[in-house]
Amino acid sequence: MNSWIEKQRYIIDFTLSSLLRRKVKNIGLLVLYTLIVFILASMMFFTHSIKREAALILKGAPEVVVQKIVAGRHDLMPIEYLDTIKKIRGVATAAPRLWGYYYDNLVKANYTLLVPPTQTTTTNISRTTVVENEPNSQSVDLTKPLYEVNGTKLESGTIIIGNGVARLRQIAKGDYMPFLSFDGNVMNLKVVDTLSAQSELVSSDLLLITEEDFRKLFGIDKQFVTDMTVVVNNPSEMPTVAAKIKKRLPQARPIIRDEILRTYESIFNWRGGMMIVIFSAAVLAFVIFAWDKASGLSAGERREIGILKAVGWETSDVIQMKFWEGAIISLTAFFSGVILAYIHVFFMGSPVFEPALKGWSALYPNFSLTPFVNIEQLTTLFFLTVLPYTVATIVPIWRAATIDPDSAMRFTGD
Amino acid sequence: MIELHGIRKVFNAGNPSEFTAINGANLQIAENQITVLKGPSGSGKTTLLSIVGCMSRPTAGRVHLNGREITSLPERFLTDIRRKTFGFIFQQPNLIKGISVLENVMLPAYPLGEKRSQLRIKALAGLDELNIGNKSHSNVEWLSGGEAQRASIVRALINNPSIIIADEPTAHLDSKLSYRFMEIIEKFKAEGKTVIITSHDPLVYDAAIVDRVITMRDGQIEV
Repeated sequence: MNSWIEKQRYIIDFTLSSLLRRKVKNIGLLVLYTLIVFILASMMFFTHSIKREAALILKGAPEVVVQKIVAGRHDLMPIEYLDTIKKIRGVATAAPRLWGYYYDNLVKANYTLLVPPTQTTTTNISRTTVVENEPNSQSVDLTKPLYEVNGTKLESGTIIIGNGVARLRQIAKGDYMPFLSFDGNVMNLKVVDTLSAQSELVSSDLLLITEEDFRKLFGIDKQFVTDMTVVVNNPSEMPTVAAKIKKRLPQARPIIRDEILRTYESIFNWRGGMMIVIFSAAVLAFVIFAWDKASGLSAGERREIGILKAVGWETSDVIQMKFWEGAIISLTAFFSGVILAYIHVFFMGSPVFEPALKGWSALYPNFSLTPFVNIEQLTTLFFLTVLPYTVATIVPIWRAATIDPDSAMRFTGD
Repeated sequence: MIELHGIRKVFNAGNPSEFTAINGANLQIAENQITVLKGPSGSGKTTLLSIVGCMSRPTAGRVHLNGREITSLPERFLTDIRRKTFGFIFQQPNLIKGISVLENVMLPAYPLGEKRSQLRIKALAGLDELNIGNKSHSNVEWLSGGEAQRASIVRALINNPSIIIADEPTAHLDSKLSYRFMEIIEKFKAEGKTVIITSHDPLVYDAAIVDRVITMRDGQIEV
């Protein structure tokens, strides 16, 4: 057993010195290999964490949102719908919502304007919601609204803005922000606070505004609201309640939370997939390069194998050497790539992918993702990168096996 | 004792370039003797030597080593015999560039998994014995021709083989170094080793220490 271990040590030592002898070639390969793993791992860490983040935040979103549809388009909703919804069995509470989009011509960005629930006619929400399989402490407190207002009181003539808006307009607490209302008048609203950075993924472009200012800005009459949120007594009854709403109010379109989560999921999957398609060309180029490097034997390598076999190395020893060579390069590249990707995504905010993967407007959310590594994903990446390369390096075994040890005797040049 | 019976070696069999390197060689090589295979280029000396040293198999015929038939052994066993029984000195030093002399010398012992400290002591002692101990940590490309040849001799001896096989060892050495080489060979004989050399250098086959000279021509042993 000891001699077996010693033998492996000798072979690994020799492999390392072999790798160092072809420094430039191997370092070039290692850099390229690490880069590929880095890109793939960054993408994986990023899309997975962002999906997870979004899912956690959206868990606090309303269970059912009811909109009014006219001619297939979202329309303003009469406030009297609220009573009809509240009377449906299974509905714990229902609340109207006022929200909309505002296009800022100055910075060419779209903001989402929302009247916080306390500003509308919402009553105290009493819930009996039970969320199964609630993840860990990172999960969002369901009693909290989607956004954080930090207790700042929103009064008429004031707004609370998302961090993206603050960055884009270079404004902060105490500054005024001008808005052009529906009738062409300018409304100057004072910024009284910015939203918590924790929820920036979905609140980056958000502006909280009072009901009064909102109605004044968009010219919406008091008897209309944008949509309504519904809390049900039993979460498993959500689809049933939604069906009942649809039946009572044929013009309404109930959207349940799971559907929103599903949409987010598919958006991030699509974005991740798009990046993979772009980088697949790079991956393919690497595969061809690695295959060529790993499976081809140069004249020098053939001569070396000839010498090793002539001095008493078996074909299996040469195979082991080649195996260790592949394993050392691919494992080094794999771990370096994964560690670099981890730093890139979780500590540096993934500057490489930010424009492609985060947000969908001129306002990119700026937030640090919670480090989260999925073993299953890492295993997949391992099998996609380390295994093919190691296998490719083993291929020369068959060639090495055909080199006769006496080739070293026949070799006359140096 | 090495016995060769009806050895034939054909290269590229069945092809238009088919070539018979050895044609029916019968030979007995005694232990603890210096045997020289001489003959012109292309006479089959190196081919016969590689068959004797278990580096290649004959197309036909049998090889016996100390009474044991070794021609039909699988590669693994053949490699094991080659590693433990034979030490090879090639026409060119055939050292691996980019690594030190010491590492080169230790290479044949790696597959045996001998303890590193012991192996190192043995390798350094061998290098000292041939006066190149001071070069042990130099890369092989910095060695002179004679030093490289001596390093390859130390490498051939690292596993303490009983038979030394040398293929045209003086082909690239000047007379002084060739004489030095023959002195080393004499020492091997004194230590009880069997030495088989191929050469067409008179300095080798006419040396007093040589016990037997076998002449080869056109793939056959001349009687």
